Amino acid sequence: MTCDSLRETLVDYVDGRLEPAETRDVERHLEVCDNCSALVTDLRTIRAAAFMLDRHQPAPEAWTRLQAAIASEPAPKNRLLAMPGRANWPVWLGAAAALLLATAIGLLPLMSREANREGDAATDAGETEITVESVAAEFEAAEKHYQKAIDDLQTIADKDTGELDPQVASVLQKNLSVIDTAISESRAALKSQPASTNAQDGLFGALRTKVALLQQTVELINEMRQGNQAEAGRKFQTLSQ
Amino acid sequence: MPPSNPSSDVKSADLELVERIRRGDGSAFEALYRQHATRLYNLASRMTGAKGEADVLLQDIFLLAYRKIASFRGESSLGTWLYRLAMNHCLDVLRNRQTRMGQQTDSLDEPEAPPVASPVPILSAVSRIDLERAIAALPPACRAAFLLHDVEGFGHQEVGTMLGVSEGTSKSQVHKARMRIRGYLAHGLVKKVES
Repeated sequence: MTCDSLRETLVDYVDGRLEPAETRDVERHLEVCDNCSALVTDLRTIRAAAFMLDRHQPAPEAWTRLQAAIASEPAPKNRLLAMPGRANWPVWLGAAAALLLATAIGLLPLMSREANREGDAATDAGETEITVESVAAEFEAAEKHYQKAIDDLQTIADKDTGELDPQVASVLQKNLSVIDTAISESRAALKSQPASTNAQDGLFGALRTKVALLQQTVELINEMRQGNQAEAGRKFQTLSQ
Repeated sequence: MPPSNPSSDVKSADLELVERIRRGDGSAFEALYRQHATRLYNLASRMTGAKGEADVLLQDIFLLAYRKIASFRGESSLGTWLYRLAMNHCLDVLRNRQTRMGQQTDSLDEPEAPPVASPVPILSAVSRIDLERAIAALPPACRAAFLLHDVEGFGHQEVGTMLGVSEGTSKSQVHKARMRIRGYLAHGLVKKVES
């Protein structure tokens, strides 16, 4: 082996990836070539130093900022605002979708908690100590956020009542009433037993159901506006269940 | 280490996570973030040499990932897909920076450190600061391969996929980077090329 031929295999030799026979060839050359031997030593030093470089952590608030940025993004699928003709839609449809996304983001702490209970080890929410007080505060914050989104959505929708078919509005109102009752009962149960997992799950489930119902409503209105009667009919059936 | 050609289990888990993200499951996207944020933060910071902007870069990378997640088809692992997206973004940042500075695209391929021939090792120890400066002085393609392979520990196959080059090109770029770093350190060029 010569110095030039060594160059071709050097990267694999330094990384320990040569076959035994090739390794022996390289080592025989290194025994008689001080320059190549010194080069290998230096490259190994660089490789080791590179692997030992410091690992810095992103700022703790980086995830929070990312969440906020994502809240203003359309969902990657079922993009309510990314359909043809969106420029002609009333402003409130876009605002409604944004509100629903914001609501979903507001519920992330609850979703994360549920995911962790199911064994999703990829999240590190477990680093924070969970207490009865922290759980209650988390639920309270999420509820406030959620309620504000609902109130805002209702205000916006009231300005354009002609968009909702009376039959749809009736079904929506009926379902919302059922869900609101469930939310009230779950809230009362949680108040009497703040540490109860069942009570937490009950309220969380009711909140998610209400968000899903409102999301379906927006999707239904989108389909109606585009004249997709078949799809609108299917969504109405889903909404009615 | 995420493989380029994921096993069926990994592929299935990746596709499931992507589907959850598509459905708007915030905890799924947070899981993706928690798994890769630190590594991407360091990679982007060293790739662009913009430590003060690393948080912004990280956010841009994950926003891009969120926007493009529907294009993930499971042809590589989700991690490999994410790193490829991140590296492309970093290279775009560097190109834009060069454009603003009115430089030629390939001007970062210089300076070339003179080859070193020494019968004894010349690097008894490498200080962290000197190594960081030497990495920052590398041409972008070399720097990318070196960071992914030697600093982050990915294999050449993954590095090739992440950079859109062959495995052989990855090896060549890593070797070139190591040789340049040795030259920079041996000739004390680190401070010179930085300035």
